[in-house]
Amino acid sequence: MNRGFDLLYHQIFLKFLVVLKKLITDFSIHFLWEKKWFFFAMAVGFFLLILPTPDGLSREAMIVLTMSIVATILFITEPIPLPAVALLIILGQVFLLGSSSTHVAKTLWNDSVLFILGSLMLAVAVVKQKLDKRIAWVIVRITGTKTSNICFGISVVSGVLASFIGEHTVAAMMLPVGITLVTLTSDDPKKVRNLAAVLLFSIAYGCSVAGIGTPSGGARNAIMIGYWREFFFDPTNPETNKFLIDYVRWMAFAYPMFLIQLPFVTLVLFMTFKPEYRDLSRAVVKLRDQVEREGPMKTSDWVSIIFFFLVLIGWIFVSDDVGMGTIAILGATVFLISGLVRWEDINSGVNWGVVLLYGAAISLGIEMKDTGAATWVATSFLEYLEPFGASDGFGLWAAVSVLTTAVTNMMSNGAAVAVLGPVVLNMAVVAQENPIIIGFITAISSAFAYLTVVGTPACTIVYASGYLKTTDFLSVGWKMALISIIIMLAAAFLYWPYLV
Amino acid sequence: MADKNIDQKDLFEKRKERYRVLVCIDGSDESYRGLSYAAQAAKNKNSDIVLLYVRPIDQGLRSGGLQVRVARENMLSWGLELPGIKYLKKGLEQLISGDGLSANWKEKITHTDIDGDPLGDNKTEYTNEVGQTIVLKLKTAATIASGILDQYELGPYDLIILGDSGSWGGWTKSLWDPAVAEKIAMHAPCSVLIARGLERGNGHLLCTDGSDHARKMVARSATISQRIGSKLSVMSVSRDIEGEAEAKNNVNLAVEELKSSGVAPVNAFTRIGNPFEEIINAGKDYSFIVVGSTGKTSIQRFFMGSVSFKVMEYAKNSVIITR
Repeated sequence: MNRGFDLLYHQIFLKFLVVLKKLITDFSIHFLWEKKWFFFAMAVGFFLLILPTPDGLSREAMIVLTMSIVATILFITEPIPLPAVALLIILGQVFLLGSSSTHVAKTLWNDSVLFILGSLMLAVAVVKQKLDKRIAWVIVRITGTKTSNICFGISVVSGVLASFIGEHTVAAMMLPVGITLVTLTSDDPKKVRNLAAVLLFSIAYGCSVAGIGTPSGGARNAIMIGYWREFFFDPTNPETNKFLIDYVRWMAFAYPMFLIQLPFVTLVLFMTFKPEYRDLSRAVVKLRDQVEREGPMKTSDWVSIIFFFLVLIGWIFVSDDVGMGTIAILGATVFLISGLVRWEDINSGVNWGVVLLYGAAISLGIEMKDTGAATWVATSFLEYLEPFGASDGFGLWAAVSVLTTAVTNMMSNGAAVAVLGPVVLNMAVVAQENPIIIGFITAISSAFAYLTVVGTPACTIVYASGYLKTTDFLSVGWKMALISIIIMLAAAFLYWPYLV
Repeated sequence: MADKNIDQKDLFEKRKERYRVLVCIDGSDESYRGLSYAAQAAKNKNSDIVLLYVRPIDQGLRSGGLQVRVARENMLSWGLELPGIKYLKKGLEQLISGDGLSANWKEKITHTDIDGDPLGDNKTEYTNEVGQTIVLKLKTAATIASGILDQYELGPYDLIILGDSGSWGGWTKSLWDPAVAEKIAMHAPCSVLIARGLERGNGHLLCTDGSDHARKMVARSATISQRIGSKLSVMSVSRDIEGEAEAKNNVNLAVEELKSSGVAPVNAFTRIGNPFEEIINAGKDYSFIVVGSTGKTSIQRFFMGSVSFKVMEYAKNSVIITR
């Protein structure tokens, strides 16, 4: 009896070993290997949570800090879909931090998130109006047919538009313009490689440098404005009113920077790539034929232009009273009601995960501040910077700028600002610097992701055309990043102190 | 549903009898050179050439929340072609005009939506009266490597041809972001050809170590070289002088085997030294270095490395890994 039992036990054990071996064969190894960064992040998180809490840090702050570190690892390595990271942040706040679900839900939505939602819907609506051909025609009418002039014209127009309606919108709209000019010049991609590079980078970098121009230029700007209000504004203290940065005030800070950067875009591009054709008259003539086939402007075209300007006016003049998000949503609603865009187009054109992601990131950022984790990180970070003379003044500005540029080249710039914002703003407080200047440096440096395809939305979209190589981004990007950082630090040093 | 399954299985069995070559096109010159080799290998009837372009799935999060498809749709509405289609068409033109394949082709187009991506998978199949097939396939996948490997699952192939993507970076790099070619060579269940400065006509160099695995590989290489009618040489490396006799024996075995399958090797020699260095040096004069995949599992390979993979990584010219 006993022996039989032993035998059975033995057999079960063997079976178990066989199953185990099967599990450790290729499939599961591959699964673990593909997801290695997820498990690594989880291990880091677990390890940090069982560590004794450092001095000066509360238990809650430690948990929030751990969540931020884990989220940052996941943002950069992307082993799981990014919206899933957002969901993990929500779960972490409820299960680890013990916040009530209602509280967490409330922190997920604010005007910045509404703005991101609205401006994305608006972006699809604007692209669907197909005004791109007209815009292209206007550009070449003004610039003539010289390649360098056309490139400058494209980056100016892309830039000015992008500074108001966001870089991704304009990049999506102008991409066919660039490619059409290339393909109309020559069918063989090898003969027009450099021409394609200058034209497409004019669009991408024109949009990227412009995204900082106004609060509606990019999600990161809205996020930074939200942080200033959340962290420093106190309704009972009129002194803190200066931390409410409105639309016009932001433009006063950032728009000149964008305008100064613009000529450098064309300059740097022509220094890096030597286009094969100095004159594009052949392409321009064909482009005019295409535009003429479209016929005169239709009523719907005019209506959409009017809507567009109404949204702009709304942002500039009333957004301080009703919120930028409200205006963006109003704009999207008007386009939907008038039938100029179908809901199906908006639904398939917007990645709703982004809204979730930014909502969660901002929510985590606010927790970072509320629990004191941000102050702790800021203080310890400043201690490290001290030996380099970067703990205050100009040195700190440069350090913040370099830090943001490094982070933003690894993940989307909105996420970079959402993650870094609370820390750098607290660094400003600890170092007794002006949080507004430091905030601007962070928000603006996050646009300097010229080096990689994933850095800025405009670069990603332009790369999708298939005409550029990833190495192109490196060869021209570092020059742009350097110039941009110098211009920004000059602005922070010479110009911004007069405004705050 | 059940019917469909049987059909699939049938198709799979039928395809096993054909000689099927999968050529991964990425628009580079190297991949087109690989393609002309494929044309050579699949010259006679009952052979298929599949041209594959893999496009990674768009990540709307990277483009700031606006899906890249909005830009793509805008491009299409301007009448502009997406990059992959252009590359595939160029490949087809090369096959039909340059590489002497017959001109009467029948066309059949199929399209499948993938993961809600409207572009999805597109397939154009061309068949001629001799029974050859050329398939152009535009595939959407999470990563390029997984797209190519998925394509293998759809139908067994005898040979996968890839252009060298040029980003081999040794151990640390492969931990972070292995090159596409490296991934394919590791995981593909069939022979893999990596085209690298490919020049035809200099013959193949077959490397054997006398193992059972290598002997099977010898037979396979014989078929490949018979198909393209290229010359074949055999070599074996021993680490020290004592091993030389064994190496010679290995070479002789391989020569016998080749002769019995109707291929006479032009040259047979042995070398002494570090296997992978010697192979790379000797291989310089040939079009291809042919190595067998060592029968190691991926874990063993991870810890011990493998001569084949080192050869593949460091060789200056094209490499075939046979399985």
